[in-house]
This record gives sequence, structure tokens and C-alpha cells, in this order.
Amino acid sequence: MDTLISENGVFLPIPPLHAVRLHYLLGVILLLTSMVAHTVFPTNPITHPTPTLLMIWAFEGPGLMILFANFQQDKEQCSYFRAVVRGYVGLVVGAIVNALGAIILGAPVGFEYFTKTLNWSLLMSSFTFVPATCAFGSAWTHWRRVFASTKAFSFIDYMIRLPAYGAVIGAWLGACAMPLDWGRPWQEWPVCVSYGAMAGYLLGLIASSVCIIFHDRRQQHLKGE
Amino acid sequence: MSKSGEVSWKSENLGKRRWTFVVFLGILILHGLAIFVFTRGFLLTRTELSQYSHCSDIQQSPCFSPPQDDQMVNHSKGCWTKPAVDRIVIIVLDALRYDFVAPSTFFDEKKPWMDRLQVLHKLASQPGSFAKIFKAIADPPTTSLQRLKGLTTGGLPTFIDVGNSFGAPAIIEDNLIYQMAKNGKRVVMMGDDTWVQLFPQHFNISHPFPSFNVKDLDTVDDGCVEHLFPYLYQEDWDVLIAHFLGVDHAGHIFGVDSTEMIEKLEQYNGILEKVVDVLESQSGPGGLHENTLLLVMGDHGQTINGDHGGGAPEEVETSLFAMSLQKNPSSLPSETDSSSCRLDMEKRKICTSSIEQLDFAATVSALLGIPYPFGSIGRVNPELYALAAGTWNLDIFTPEGGINLSGSERWMQNYVNVLCMNTWQVKRYIDVYSAQAHDNWLHTKEAVLNCKSESCSTLLPQLKKQVEAYSNFLSSITALARSKWTEFNLKMMGTGLCILVLSLFVHIFIIKKLDKLCSCYLPCGGNFVVSFEAIFAYAAVLIRSFSFLSNSFILEEGKTASFLLATAGMLQLRHAIVKKKMFLEGLLFVLVVPLLRFGIELGQSKQAVNSLFLKSFASWTVSVDNGTNLWIYVADILPFLALVILAYILYYKSIRHSSCRGIFKLVAVGTIFASSLIALAWALDGNLFSPSTVIVDIKAYWIPRIIYVVGLLQLFLLAISQLFGKEKTSGWEEGTIVKATAMLSAWSSTIIILSGKQGPLVALAAVIQGWCVIRLMTLERAKNDYNDSSTSYSSPVAKWSLLAVCLFFCTGHWCAFDGLRYASAFVGFDEFNLIRQAALLTIDTFGFSHILPVMGLPLIVACRRHPEVQAEKRKPLFFLQLCQVYLMYGLTMAISMTFTIICVTIQRRHLMVWGLFAPKFVFDAVGLLLTDLFICLASLYYFT
Repeated sequence: MDTLISENGVFLPIPPLHAVRLHYLLGVILLLTSMVAHTVFPTNPITHPTPTLLMIWAFEGPGLMILFANFQQDKEQCSYFRAVVRGYVGLVVGAIVNALGAIILGAPVGFEYFTKTLNWSLLMSSFTFVPATCAFGSAWTHWRRVFASTKAFSFIDYMIRLPAYGAVIGAWLGACAMPLDWGRPWQEWPVCVSYGAMAGYLLGLIASSVCIIFHDRRQQHLKGE
Repeated sequence: MSKSGEVSWKSENLGKRRWTFVVFLGILILHGLAIFVFTRGFLLTRTELSQYSHCSDIQQSPCFSPPQDDQMVNHSKGCWTKPAVDRIVIIVLDALRYDFVAPSTFFDEKKPWMDRLQVLHKLASQPGSFAKIFKAIADPPTTSLQRLKGLTTGGLPTFIDVGNSFGAPAIIEDNLIYQMAKNGKRVVMMGDDTWVQLFPQHFNISHPFPSFNVKDLDTVDDGCVEHLFPYLYQEDWDVLIAHFLGVDHAGHIFGVDSTEMIEKLEQYNGILEKVVDVLESQSGPGGLHENTLLLVMGDHGQTINGDHGGGAPEEVETSLFAMSLQKNPSSLPSETDSSSCRLDMEKRKICTSSIEQLDFAATVSALLGIPYPFGSIGRVNPELYALAAGTWNLDIFTPEGGINLSGSERWMQNYVNVLCMNTWQVKRYIDVYSAQAHDNWLHTKEAVLNCKSESCSTLLPQLKKQVEAYSNFLSSITALARSKWTEFNLKMMGTGLCILVLSLFVHIFIIKKLDKLCSCYLPCGGNFVVSFEAIFAYAAVLIRSFSFLSNSFILEEGKTASFLLATAGMLQLRHAIVKKKMFLEGLLFVLVVPLLRFGIELGQSKQAVNSLFLKSFASWTVSVDNGTNLWIYVADILPFLALVILAYILYYKSIRHSSCRGIFKLVAVGTIFASSLIALAWALDGNLFSPSTVIVDIKAYWIPRIIYVVGLLQLFLLAISQLFGKEKTSGWEEGTIVKATAMLSAWSSTIIILSGKQGPLVALAAVIQGWCVIRLMTLERAKNDYNDSSTSYSSPVAKWSLLAVCLFFCTGHWCAFDGLRYASAFVGFDEFNLIRQAALLTIDTFGFSHILPVMGLPLIVACRRHPEVQAEKRKPLFFLQLCQVYLMYGLTMAISMTFTIICVTIQRRHLMVWGLFAPKFVFDAVGLLLTDLFICLASLYYFT
């Protein structure tokens, strides 16, 4: 059991196994949707990334909302339903932030790239913003704690932070393959960046599970002493 | 006690001007030495052999040669081969792309510049193969001088010659023109004066015209036309060379897709029509041009933007049109004929073939019957050779036993003999050059001898076999020469690399030393936490350096730098959000990066038409084109606006500033005066005033020159103030800011006028970014106060250098010789003067990316206050840190240079070594040396 007092009240206890199971579920959803997307568009996921990305975020995003809305930190003021709605707002805001970031880093700008960038940023948003908005709403202190410091108060911090970091770093690394002159279709924006983000996200899920188990062991060890 | 005494003594010295100057000079010398040694090993010149071919040499060859005794007396009868043509008219049209000449049906899409030289299509399509269009493939580097050298010597160019393009030296190797002159051919030349520089003594008559003023489309061409036609009626020459430059210049200034280019091509069409008319009118039996060959050729191609120099297909593929005025009796056997035929727009059948430019010297020599140049490794091209009717009725073999040979067999036999001499000559050259080709030769000889012993040399299949054997030998030699021409001297290269790595360690050692000295002044906290930004700064420098190992990253270097800069900015922004300060500065920094990237992409679109830019921005550019006039107005007004803002910043920062007095104020006023002149020049550029000559003179010549003079005066004043200024005891931080501002403003007006209208925009972006970098430093201060000062400065210095790289690409440059903006060398001047134009070109190329960042670097240190340090200690600390910052900046440059060198060493056999890696190396080397030099000057200027 993991209960800690924060500035905003009491954190809900999350059993570690539950958290790990949730990670497992998210990973499976991601893998399954991407596999389904690959089979639905047998040759297209690389040449036509837009429908693939659309499919992936359309499953992963709501999945994340439903699951993370359970962990909302202000249950008293906010119903489960409102948390999900909040997730949608977060999805849109996060998409704007991610698209801006991508353009600043060098994503191509143009009408024919609009849908690609849009779907990619929605996917990134569901990896990064949706869990945090579902769980914290717009509580700045929580956001700051999760995304700015390296300390974690509870499992939920790991669960939000590590996969989000993984997705961003993975996308960043994925972009490094773009200038290479191999002339492969997957080097086009946003294919390799999306693959990088998804791989990073999966790695983040694993890392987060490991952290949670490790954290739990240590706490039980401390309690035992 | 003694140790601390030593430290204080050293620290007193370290901040001093003389000491720092010596350190930076030492580093400059070390870098210079490293680059010099490496260059000696890497950019080897091909050894130019001084042997020449002679008529009598042919007796040593195993081939059948015409009896020598009487021909030695009478040169005009030829000595190696029998002359097949009497006279040759060579019309060189500089930068003649292949698609200027070939019909548009040979390409996917018809472009406006195609099908303009209709007269060539008409001639090539006439039945009877006496005229033909060739695709001529040049060897890079595709600059005029290099190509003329290659065309006349028949050898391969080497990289080091590129540098000579500004001052063409005479060719000392054996060459076509020398052989012509030696063997009694009278050569007349007109047009591009590069020919006269290459061959100062070989022409009977020459009419050179200056070639370096790219803005002048007509002088050279008009001069050519004026002299060309009278000569066509005269008989006192054997070879006539007319070199037209209009297309090259039109390309440089307006690009290929421009009305000027099309007008030029149509003008050439008219000229060529007239030339052909004159020649044909005198081509009757006994006429002046009975047996004349007309060659219309380009020396290299050009890209759509009119650039050339590299190895891209567009630059390498030029064309050659050959026409014999004597009609051929028959045509070539199909095996040696490589032509492809298509119908043109008017349903005429036109055939084209392909020829290596390398083969030109040998083929022309064979046609004229003169010895092949000693260094030629080309092959006599069968199709060009067969065009000349004279090659069909040379009876060099007395018919044995009355065998009647068909025309093509006779020609073939003759051709085999010509190839035999060709092969023998190449073999002789290679023998002298190296022993490597020996085995190949034995093989060929065997095949040929086999045939001889069976006395089968008259049968067509056997002749073909011989041709094949010779051709194989020649092509293997060419391939060998291409791949192994420059034998890299690995020992020299390794030594250079080691010296450079040593200089890195020197850098790091001094930085660490200074760290220790600084720590005496800084309150010591003891917790050495390296911030995340500092780690990323190190990582960014390393990532950028490692990226040079791949050619694709070198191509996209500008984008890589902007990517890293944006990443650094985002990390900074995140930090700012966390700290809840400087949020606006962080946001501004991040938002300006994409603007820089658009500049980089615009530059890239000029670099390569097939780059990602056009694909990704096609719609964007179209929308600009289709948009209302609003866009055009905005594009016109933006530079003025930027200029006004810059002037205002300068006014606000320096003139109204209390500590800015005397000379510095004068300098600032000078810059504001210069920028108003720039604005005036651009305003005159528009359509507001009727273009009278006075106004054109004022805007094109006087304003730039006044600005240069003002800039020089400003620098002079600053130097004087440094020499005779009083040493201040307090306020040196303020003083340094004023000094740096004055220095930057003194350079800026010259740089802006050279860069054109993009100048003020880029300058404004640079000012904003620099200001943000400096402001954002305070973010880290709270955390890093107790750290090594080198760690705390690493992030701003890394960003500063990334910004400098972005600025280089943003101003439309890239690391290749066609990336130099030659037009900027002629801002304010029309005549070519090596030193003056080279200086202007250097300022334009490296101004934004090297001169300004180095000169502005002290702002980083000066804008940072150390309130916790006691007043008397602040001055030595300040200068120690300034020294350290300069060392770190030099270190980042040196690290990327080191990786460039490693990359060049690894990729020295790469396909693109001369097209991509070597230019990158040269740009980096020049950039590093310039940075070192300017750091030296800055140390004299800023340190007291």
C-alpha cells in the first residue's frame, strides 16, 4: 500500500500489481491496434501513415482516459465522467503543444502535411498529456512535480512520467533517422518519429513497471524494519 | 603559501592581454599546422609530368604508323594519324546544359528553356550522319578553368586546382593546344580570357575578354560575335576557338528558368545559324571549309539556379554538337554506335550519343593528325571520330592481295590503328606514372597479338574484337585513374589529425587550469552538480560532431544544427517554466528557431532542386506565388522594418547609454548612418524612381563603397581607442558591453549590405537569439553559482556556436563551392581584383557565422554579474572567465573540425569525396582558422 500526503490532500492508494497490470493493458492495446492497423492497411502503414496513426490514437487515447480517470486526485470535486471529458480537453491542448514543438524542431509545414502532423500530435498528446490531465486536471503543482522534478511521491507519478518521457525521447531519437539518404518511405515525416515515440512509450511502460515494483519492494522492506 | 602566491601570480598574468594573446596565437598556430599537414596529405595534387608527345615517338609503338621520313618535313600531313579534317571550329558555350541542346522529347517534361537551339535539332535530324548531338559527361569539379584544363590535357582534374580558378595559371602539362601549335596548326581564340591565362603563348591570334564580371551578360559574347564572322572568311587559321560566356552568367544571376536565359539561348540560336550558313556556303569542293568540323560544346552544365562546381548530374552533363561539312559516305557499324534516337517535337528523328569529356583531347588529336597529349587518358571516341568524313577514306594500309574491303571495314581498320596508338600512348603515360597498369596491358596485348598472328586483322569480327580489347584497356585505365588518382598520404593525414587532437587537449587543459584559478575568486560551495543543460550542451556538441560521419547529415547540416538549437531552447523553456521566470525569453528563443529553419530551407532549395524543401513546401511556395501583391509588399517592407529596428536597438543601447562616450558613440552614429544608406540603396532599387544612370551609379557603386569606407573607419577608430584609451579601474563590465556593441555595429553594416535584403532579417534574428541566450543564463545562475565556471558557461557557449552554424546556413550558404555567393563579391565593384573581391566574399561567407559571434562572445560574460564576489576581485575574475569562454568556443569549433577530418579520412574513397566531403573540410578548416584569428584579434581588443 502506498499512501502519501501531498499539498493537495490524500493520494489514493494504488496497489502496485494493479498499476503494473494497467501498464500491461496499455502496452497490449498499443501493440494490438498497431498490429490491426498493419493488417487493415497491409502495405499502407508506411506510405499512408495518417489512417494508421488515426487508428492508434483513437484506441489508445480513450483507453488511457478511461484507465487514468480512475486515478483522478480530486475525486470529491470531480466525477469520473468529468475526468474523462477533461482528458479530451487535454488531448486537444496537448496536440497543439506537441504540433508546435514538432514544427519548432523541424517538422515540415504545408497543407499536405497537415493531417499527418495533426494525427501524430494527437498520438503524442495521448501519450503525454492525456494521462496527466485525467489524473490531475489543471492542478499546476502536480504537473510540476511530475514533469519537472525527478522525485516521485507515488506510483502514479511513475506511471505518467516515465512513459511520457519515453515517448518524447523516442520521437526525438526517431527524428534522427530522417535526414539519412537511404530513401526509404519510412524516413518520411512522421513515420519514423511515430515509431520512435511508440517504442519509447513501450519502453517507458516497462521502466515504469520495474520502478513501481522496485519502489514497492523497498517500501515493504522499510516497513518490515 | 607559496602555492597560493604562484596561483595569484599566474592569475594576474592570465587575465592580461599579452598572455591571452600568446595563448590564442599558440592555438591558432597549432590549428594552422594541423590543417596544413593534413591538407598536404589529403588534397594532393596530381603530379604533372613535364614530358611531351612528339611526332617521332610513334615509331616505338607497335602500331602501324604512316611512313615518317617525308612527313617529318611536312607537318600538315600529320604524324601519328593521318589528318581527317583540315580545320576545326570550336564554339564553347559556357555552362551549356544537356537539355539546352537535346530535344525536349528526351526528357520527362518540357521546360521553357528547352528546344531553344533549333538550328542544332534541324542539322542533327537531317539524313546522312554528318551532324550529331552528344551528351558530354564532365568530371567534377565543374568549374570552367578545371574543365578547360581537362578538355585540353585529356586528364582528370584534381581538387587542389579549384583554388586556382581565381587566378588561372598556365598549363605546364602536355596539352592539345600545345600540340596544335607545335605541329603547325594555327590557332585563333576569342572570348573568355581564361584560355589566354591557361595558354599564354600558344595562340596565333587571340581576342580575350574579361570573364569574371558575372553581372555582364553581353561583353564577351558581343566581342566573340564581332571577331568570329570575319575569321570564318579567312584562311590563315586551322583551329578557331570561340568561348561564349552569356549562358553561364545569365545562370549565375537569373537562374536557368528566366527570360534572360531564354533570350540568350535564342541569341545563340541566331549566331549558330549564321555560322552554319557561312560554313556551308564555303563547303563546296575547293572551298575554305571543304573539310571543316564544327564543334559546339559546353564545358560543364549548371543547376536550375545556375550554380556549378559540384558533381551533380545537372552540373556534370553538358552537351557537344559535332558537324562535319563533308558528307559521310556510310555509317558506323551498329556495335560501336551507342546512340539512342527519338522523334522531336516536329517529328524529326534525332539521335544522341554520349561521350566522356576526357575523350575530347584524344579524339580531336586523332582527327587533326597530331600526337595525343602525353597525359591524355581518354579514348578516341568512335562516333565522333566517324563523323568526320575524312576518316572514311584514309588508306593507310596498302590493300594486300587485292582484297577489296568494304567502307566500314576500312574505317574499322583505321579506327583500330588509331585506338592502338591511343592505347600505346596511355600505356606509356601510365608506365611513366606508375607500374600498376602493367598486367592489364599484357592482357590486351595478348588479345591483339593473337589476332595479328592469325593474320585476321582484316575481318570485321576480328576488328571488332580488337576494338573491344583496346576499349576495355582504356576504360580500365580511366577507372583506375579515377579511383586512385590522388594517392592519399596517410602518414601526413594521421599526423595532422594527431596535432589537432593535441590542440583539443591543450584547450581542455587550459580551461581546467582557468577553472582552478576562478575558484579562488568564487565562493566555494563544494557541491559539484552538473546541470542538465550543461550535459545537453556537451551532448549537442558531440552529436553534431558525430553526425559528420555520415554524408546525409553533412548535407542537412543546417537542419541538424537548428534541430539541436531548438532542443536546447525547449529544455531551457522547460527549465524556465519550472523556475517560473524568464518564460517569455525562453518562448521567444524557441519561436525564432523555426524562422531560422525556414531561412535554412530556403537556402537548401537553392542548393538542390530535388531536396526535401520543394517536396514539402511546394504548396507553401505556390501559395506565396498565387497570393495577392500583399506578400510582395510584405517581403519588400520586412527588411526595412528589420533595419529600422536594428538601428533603434543600437540607438537605444549605445547612444542613449550613459557609459557610451567619445569614440564609441561616434562608431554607433556611423553605423546608423550606414544603415540609413542601405535603406536608401534598397529604396532606389524599387520602382519608385525612374532608372537614370546617376541613380544606378549611386545605388550600385557609391553607397556600398561609402559603407565599406565607414566600416573601415569605424574599425580604425576602435583600434585607436584601444591603443590610446585610458585603462579604467571600474565599470569594465559596462565598458566591455559598449566595446562589444561598437565592434559588432562596425562590422554589421558591411555584412548586411553584402548579404542583401535577407541581411537585416537574419541580423535581427541573431540579435534576438543572442539576447535570449544571455538573458536565460541567469536561470542557471541560482543553481550553478558554486560550480566550475566552465560548466556554467558551457550551455550558453554551445548555444552560441549552434546559433552561429544556423546563421551560416540561414544566409543562403552551404559547404560547397557553389554555396559561395559570388555575386556578393561584386557589390559595389564591377572589375575583378583578387584581394578586394576575395575579402568581400570572405566577409559575406563568414560574417554572420564567424566574425559576429566571435566578436559578440564577451557579452555572455559581461552581462553576467557576480554580486557575491568582492569588487576588487571581480575584474580579474571577469577576464579569466572571458578567456575561458573564448577557449570553450574555440574548443567546440575544434571538436567539430576534428570529426570532419576523421570523417574525411574514413570516407576518402567515397563517391562523393570531392563533391561533398572535401568542400566541407575546406569550409571547416577556413572557418576554424578564421575563428582562431578573430579570437586572437578579440583578445587584443577586449583584454586590457
